[in-house]
Amino acid sequence: MREDAIIKLEDVSTVYEGERRPAIKGVNLTLKRNELVYVVGPNASGKTTLLETINGLLPPFKGKVSVFGLDVQNHGRRVRCKIGYVPQDFMVKPGEPYTAIDVVLMGLYGQIGFLHRPEEKDQKKAVEAMKLLGIEELVNRPMGKLSGGQQQKVMLARAIAKKPTVLLLDEPFSNLDPESRAKIPSLITRLHEEKELTTLIVTHDIHHIIDQCHRVVAISNGKIVFDGKPENAIPIIENHPHTTSLEAIR
Amino acid sequence: MIWLEFTIMQRALLACLLAGFLMGLIGVFVVRMRLSAIGYSMSHGAFAGAALGVATATNPLATGLLFASATAFLIGPIADKARLHADTITSIVFPLNMALAFVFLTLAPEIGLSSQVANVLWGSIISMTNTDLVYLTTLFAATIAIIYFIWKELFAIMFNRKLAEADGINTKPFIYLIILLSGVVVTFSLKLVGGLLIYALLFNPASTALQFLENMRAIVIASPLIGMATTVSGLLVSLALDLPVGSCIVIVSTIVFAIALLLSPKRRRKEVQ
Repeated sequence: MREDAIIKLEDVSTVYEGERRPAIKGVNLTLKRNELVYVVGPNASGKTTLLETINGLLPPFKGKVSVFGLDVQNHGRRVRCKIGYVPQDFMVKPGEPYTAIDVVLMGLYGQIGFLHRPEEKDQKKAVEAMKLLGIEELVNRPMGKLSGGQQQKVMLARAIAKKPTVLLLDEPFSNLDPESRAKIPSLITRLHEEKELTTLIVTHDIHHIIDQCHRVVAISNGKIVFDGKPENAIPIIENHPHTTSLEAIR
Repeated sequence: MIWLEFTIMQRALLACLLAGFLMGLIGVFVVRMRLSAIGYSMSHGAFAGAALGVATATNPLATGLLFASATAFLIGPIADKARLHADTITSIVFPLNMALAFVFLTLAPEIGLSSQVANVLWGSIISMTNTDLVYLTTLFAATIAIIYFIWKELFAIMFNRKLAEADGINTKPFIYLIILLSGVVVTFSLKLVGGLLIYALLFNPASTALQFLENMRAIVIASPLIGMATTVSGLLVSLALDLPVGSCIVIVSTIVFAIALLLSPKRRRKEVQ
């Protein structure tokens, strides 16, 4: 693992839309190149806000966020072209006029650039990403007709297709069937290793964490309450006053 | 058809085709980007502007365009910054624009409820001039070119604005462009149905197409075709029954939407589920 900081948050506080109370407060976090970090914490603890602050979708009211050494507030578009992002619980309603391949291909639009149209090579990238996730047969299926798990795989394919440098995944395995739940985290870990990605995964499911990541960050009430090796994470998370039991963060 | 031998009717037919196409096309983006409230406010901004034009004996098209653009430029950023709900924007701006329109129309009492005023209120397709047609044709070409070149970005924004941002698309300029474009299209189509009814023509064709199709490219092609079909049908109904053209167009387009709603396979599927 190389030592360069890919993601750096310095004393960052962010307020969510329409809220007065900061969703994350004074967060300091650095992710080095090729690090795989899991973020855990109870509901509404600030995990999603952390991800949206990193990719610049939510501007912090205090502190500085840099990705690849660039200030996200000033270089957001450039930075986001290299980030593969899967939002939490993203579901397309039945009847929506988009096919699965449309959705995957859209992930590449930022990279393709203004006034340029997707070419055959972009189409190939999208299909390859779908093959990797075992959903190539869904290419032309309407997105709204897919199950929750299938839609989640399409969103993962969308994040992977752009060949990102950073992966930000918000509960990416929550809707998967048990078989996929066993396979997909390993696939992400393999991709992470092969492509030297820097990966941040928000999850409630801490069972896979220990053998699959380099670090665990636990958030409670918008503050980082633990940042360290996965094997040390569980007892500390269990004993923290805001996460009174392990169930609280599951 | 004897009526087609008259130049005035040829112009009316061409205007119906062009305005129906444009309103149907822009309507898809307005509906899918959930800009309905802004479009509603802006179409009445165009109406207020046109009323000012009539009252001050200037070109209603120019003042209508000015008001629609001003509404677009004010509402877009205000809605973004103040995070106002769409209903709130409509509730404030719609009565304001209507109030302004009626104030402007009473500023010149000698005009009263003259044909000029009636044209602004209800539309008068038979007053379409060759210059109006040139404007509409230019707008037709410009709109198609703009949408062709920024289709990729519009497609992504219509799917989900936040995800489009996350993928590196700066969504604001594209949304503002659609708001502005809809203001311009509404202004140039005012003569077709008038300021009070124009809103329906922006939303009915797109909403009709969305009832049947599950492919966005097909919707973008079908909605302008529906727009053209309903405007021309409305014109024919008005000629046959000797009724106001604008009203007939809106009634026909609403009937078409209601039928689509009843026959929609999407709705039937929902009921089965």
